[in-house]
Amino acid sequence: MTKSTLIRWFICFCILLGCTACKTEHRFVKRTEFKKTNIIVLCFAGPVDESWANSAAFRINEKQDPDILLKVDRVELSKDRRTLTIFMKDPLNTSNPHQMVLPDIMSEGKSQGTAVVSVKKLYWGNLISILIGAMFIYNYVFVKYLGLCVYLGVTQKKSTAIGMGFTFTIVIIFSTSISWFLYQYILKPYQIEFLQIIVFIGLVSLTVQAVDTILRKVNPILFKEFGVYLVLIISSCLILAVPLIMAAQNYDFFESLMLSTGAGLGFFIALFLMACVRERIDLSPIPESYRGMPIAFIVSGLFALSFMGFSGMSIY
Amino acid sequence: MIENNKSYSNIFLNGILNDNPIFRLALSMCPAVGISTNVMNGLLMGIAVLFVQFCSSLTITLVKDFIHPRIRIPTYTLTIATWVTVTDLVLAAFFPVAYKSLGIFVRLIVVFCFITMRLDVFARKNPVFPSLVDALGMGFGFMLGMMAIGGVRELMGMGTLLGYDVLGFRPLLFFVLPCSGFFVVGFMMAIFNYTEIVYNRRKREMRSVA
Amino acid sequence: MKEIVKITIGLTLTCLIAAGIMGGVFIITAKAKKHNEYLNFKENMLALLGYNQTNPAPDSLQLCTVYRYLIYQGDKTSLGYMLPVKSKDAKDIRYQFIRVDLQGQFVDKFDLEIETAQTTDLKDREKALAAVLPKDVNQMIFADRFIVASNKDKRLAYLLPGKSPGFKTNINFMLALNSKYSIVGLQILEHQEDPGLGDEIEREYFKNQFTGKDSERVKTLKVIKEPLPDEQLKYLEKSKWAKDAYSEKDIKALQKKYQDKDICAITGATISSVAVVNGVKNVVTKFVYRVKILENIISKQKITVAF
Repeated sequence: MTKSTLIRWFICFCILLGCTACKTEHRFVKRTEFKKTNIIVLCFAGPVDESWANSAAFRINEKQDPDILLKVDRVELSKDRRTLTIFMKDPLNTSNPHQMVLPDIMSEGKSQGTAVVSVKKLYWGNLISILIGAMFIYNYVFVKYLGLCVYLGVTQKKSTAIGMGFTFTIVIIFSTSISWFLYQYILKPYQIEFLQIIVFIGLVSLTVQAVDTILRKVNPILFKEFGVYLVLIISSCLILAVPLIMAAQNYDFFESLMLSTGAGLGFFIALFLMACVRERIDLSPIPESYRGMPIAFIVSGLFALSFMGFSGMSIY
Repeated sequence: MIENNKSYSNIFLNGILNDNPIFRLALSMCPAVGISTNVMNGLLMGIAVLFVQFCSSLTITLVKDFIHPRIRIPTYTLTIATWVTVTDLVLAAFFPVAYKSLGIFVRLIVVFCFITMRLDVFARKNPVFPSLVDALGMGFGFMLGMMAIGGVRELMGMGTLLGYDVLGFRPLLFFVLPCSGFFVVGFMMAIFNYTEIVYNRRKREMRSVA
Repeated sequence: MKEIVKITIGLTLTCLIAAGIMGGVFIITAKAKKHNEYLNFKENMLALLGYNQTNPAPDSLQLCTVYRYLIYQGDKTSLGYMLPVKSKDAKDIRYQFIRVDLQGQFVDKFDLEIETAQTTDLKDREKALAAVLPKDVNQMIFADRFIVASNKDKRLAYLLPGKSPGFKTNINFMLALNSKYSIVGLQILEHQEDPGLGDEIEREYFKNQFTGKDSERVKTLKVIKEPLPDEQLKYLEKSKWAKDAYSEKDIKALQKKYQDKDICAITGATISSVAVVNGVKNVVTKFVYRVKILENIISKQKITVAF
């Protein structure tokens, strides 16, 4: 695909994501968000009456527990009266979506109706956290130890590493997307989830064959460079692990897309880093018994140790 | 066909020493690094792998003539996946005690590279019996390797062996961390290499003397 | 082209054969697997109540499960509880479904046509509910369940299963509360935490810290990053006590001393410890709030519950 078509797709994708984030549930409430652990912030389309803000009986509850109302400590209205900050008595469980009922919003003497809005973490934030998670925090090579065979075999030179990383990312994005459709619309409704392994493997092989054939016809030069790696991909554990994780966590389409992109990019980073180091190591004096595999392992161990520094990080 | 002059015991020992999946072929490092935190895990994992390897080799040698060469790797993976699922379901249903300890490991076997490689290299080209012996040898080699790594990590990390307190204190909690697997495997491979170099040197010296 | 067709056919055929074998084995083993899971669950429940092989549960011990549902009817939302009730001949247990509105007021109740063995299956429960609920109910969602253990009409404990996102995946646990809603025990059912680190949540010195805390204390429970004092550590590891290490008075004194202390985190596994504490907090506060309303309604409506 040429660069311009790629850029066009990317822009469409961003617009689509943006649209899903901009829609609000009530025309007067523009934005709702969590701040810190016990604060909810509401932004209105126009100024609200101070009397309403101080006396209104807000009803806030977690969406899954509509019978348990959470206690409000105090409220603060901003100077322009468009932003309302609500302080809660107990810390909120921000990973669950919450629901708020704002009864009879009074703005400049006129009632704007009762609003039932939901407060939850930004969808974009969730997507980005999955992406970064798959790339660094749960890097598939250094933290989850998958795909090590391919990783050790291909990282002798930088060029092979780049080629493998690139091919792998493309294959994994395609196969995970198609696996998602099959999983959601065929495997789950008919309750045959135990067949997921077979289905995913079949899909991966078909994807590889398809990419193989397409590449051969469309761009033989590219095929000569990357074609060799396609066969290696099937024998790697990693290509199966990503759809399995997507199925286990029950992600929706965009989340699984982020997961596969993150996994592919993380793998690419791991390969590239290792290849750089290995090229240098080959030229240095290493004791004979350590040459080849052993030193590669020890270097990987050091990488894994450093990637452990990412563990437990959470963005959003 | 069978390589000439290779007896069954040779094939079996080959799996443990010369072509040890972990230390020589460097395949299936994923579990060796991640799961071998103690001897018990290594043992259970080894048993599960042995069983799956045995059954898959059996299946592939029986149907090797019907497989189209270009889809052979997906076919191997499918065979392994079928056997793994069957083992998982049967264990969960009829051997609940064993399933409690083995359960997580069995599902992970699908993602092992070396079983696939072994099927491709050996089972596809050899008749039934030698393939089975080879499968047993490989499985045992894997199990012994995992137990060795597990032993080192457990002893150095928790001071216990198979759950029994040997040292009475914890030397270095580092060895229990997942990343230490890389280090332990790297060092053990180096030891393997070193012994082989010394052995070869001695053989050469003896031959030159003789 | 021919090659691709041959390859695709070959692949599909292999997939179908493999699927056939797996499907066959699945059908044969599904029932047995479920039964084993149930037995495992029951064993955990009995362990929480203090029964094990050396101290078997009495025959009169009864474990009744109450299922909670969320019912959406038009724009009205209500909670529904599927309760086991004693029938008139007091021999078998029938089931009733009572609806409670969001303010805690009783709405209505229905008799259900369902056997005890069927209640563990989600689909059977939904079928029985759909048969009795009014037709304009849009949705009924299963929320959670709790188990009441009783012996000869005396309530022993409430068992609450729960889950919480841990370091790797969800940590499934089960809590036992006594009739005054203080924690009697905590059991970790399933987790995938790192061995040697997060794995330690299964050890006694972590789990037993929760014992004895009442529901008010649990609401403000936190994790502190301090090591356990030696005296508390020895007291917590019950299974390692020497025969006459502590007298009754000693046990009571130690219990009182450490009753209101916050939970000490496991070294190197703060995230797992926090996950368990937050999960326990969530489950206990919500349950205590709801069970008080439920008890009120049961006594007002004079429902003869089987526990």
